[in-house]
Amino acid sequence: MSAGAAKTVNGIAIDDTFAEAFGMSATGLVITADTAKWAMIAAQTMSGFGTSVIGCGAECGIDRELDPSETPDGRPGVRVLMFGFSPDALTPQVKNRVGQCVLTSPGSACYNGLDTKKKMALSSGPRFFGDGWQTAKKLGKRRFWRVPVMDGEFIIEDKCGLTTDAVGGGNLLILGKHRAGLLETTEAAVAAIAKIDDVITPFPGGIVRSGSKVGSKYKGAVASTNDAFSPVLRGAVKSELSADTIAVLEIVIDGLTSKAVADAMRVGLKAIIDTGAAKGVTRVSAGNYGGKLGQHHYHLKDLLA
Amino acid sequence: MSGLVFKLRNAPADRVNLGGLTPSKLAGLSDLDIERLVIGADGVSVADIFSISGSNGGDTVTIEASSDKLDYAGAGLDAGTVVVDGSVGAYAGTGMTGGRLDIRGNAGAWLASGLAGGLITVKGTAGDFAGAPRSGDKQGMAGGTVVIEGNVGERAGDRMRRGTIITRGTFGPAAGSRMMGGTLWTEQGFGPGPGPLLRRGTLIGPKAEHILATYADCGAHDLVILRIMNRYFAEALGPLAPKPLPANVRRYAGDLASLGKGEIWLTG
Repeated sequence: MSAGAAKTVNGIAIDDTFAEAFGMSATGLVITADTAKWAMIAAQTMSGFGTSVIGCGAECGIDRELDPSETPDGRPGVRVLMFGFSPDALTPQVKNRVGQCVLTSPGSACYNGLDTKKKMALSSGPRFFGDGWQTAKKLGKRRFWRVPVMDGEFIIEDKCGLTTDAVGGGNLLILGKHRAGLLETTEAAVAAIAKIDDVITPFPGGIVRSGSKVGSKYKGAVASTNDAFSPVLRGAVKSELSADTIAVLEIVIDGLTSKAVADAMRVGLKAIIDTGAAKGVTRVSAGNYGGKLGQHHYHLKDLLA
Repeated sequence: MSGLVFKLRNAPADRVNLGGLTPSKLAGLSDLDIERLVIGADGVSVADIFSISGSNGGDTVTIEASSDKLDYAGAGLDAGTVVVDGSVGAYAGTGMTGGRLDIRGNAGAWLASGLAGGLITVKGTAGDFAGAPRSGDKQGMAGGTVVIEGNVGERAGDRMRRGTIITRGTFGPAAGSRMMGGTLWTEQGFGPGPGPLLRRGTLIGPKAEHILATYADCGAHDLVILRIMNRYFAEALGPLAPKPLPANVRRYAGDLASLGKGEIWLTG
């Protein structure tokens, strides 16, 4: 993980290192409702507790809001992306999250949001809530299930797209000497990343404060605190932090393609460089495992465009 | 659009089967082979009743003919276009899986029987049993779309499974009988008793002459599926699309004498 500064830009040191990311399976869903507010409520609810595949089963987040002209039913919508270790791991997450969080949300409907040749089941599970009264309408190549519920019908598409070429774990580590300014800068980077299609930043507000290392002294814990990047342990452990580093925040990025992740990291890095120094950001690094675990490596120096 | 043109020279005395005259079935045949194709009883061949022009190998076959003895126009079409510049007899579009059949006149009975894909347009009227199974078949239309400008006869959509039949006119009595899925959509209304023994599927129209007692009035609803269908048909059919559904339809569930998972939507 140790890395020297490749370059200093606008007073911020950019480490000569890379983010190491992993191949993932992913799907996309379009959630609509009578109003943008309720589409967002359903989308946020179903993507909640979806920060890390390790503890949550899937990494979920909102890609973007959709104009009514972009949705199958002409209502406001939200596109949610879900990432998992494998199609088999993703399937129950889709079923449970849609069943518990979208089906239950007033006026909602749930459609495929990823146009791929590979498909996975979307309606199997939620449609059986209809207790035999569910019916399907096939229009062109798409089948829509109509499930009677208390406010009318819940519409759910039969299948959704599936990609096994997705990438999980693109990341930026942002280091600073003022915690508030660091958070503000990282928020700006997350906002810039949100404008990139096909990516999500699944952690709370897009930001992780508890970066982890693999393993633990305790049995059963697969990950534990990244002590090398914990400012309060500087001096007590082999630290990666200089004396002026007060806090470190991380942005984790999942994308449907490697290019989308690279684009997201690029705009995030630019946002940090553009405004960070004045707010106390001193350095940007990235998390990796020596390059032996993940198939995708994103070198920070390559992203300085 | 280039392709062969078959022009009627002599009105057929008996019924003629035009099922062989589609782009893919004619592909690779010589002019002589095409002229010798037997299309009627007693060895009646293409050359006996049609003059042929144009070039083979295109994606369109045009039939310049009008006779209610011309059966199976466009039958088995899988790609490309068949245009009939006139009226046809029974079984037009039977077993189509793709492509487009344009009938610029009237169509006889059993239009689109066994249709599984593709688009059929009819400028005039259609006879009885549109989309219904032929004798011996268990199921009717299984997919695809039919758009008819005029009125349609009795029992359209009988035992239909999937797909959509749209008419700018009316459906005759007992439309959607024994239907198992799919959509019948009229812009003018249904004749008496639509949907007898209908199991699943949707009948859409502004009114019906008489609704069977075995349908339950579920009230007026603003269903999301209405919006999906409006958007889908506008995109898929363009100018051929039916008038958009209103925000609310009156839903009748039925046929409760059968499975009862189908419905009639009255839009008027």
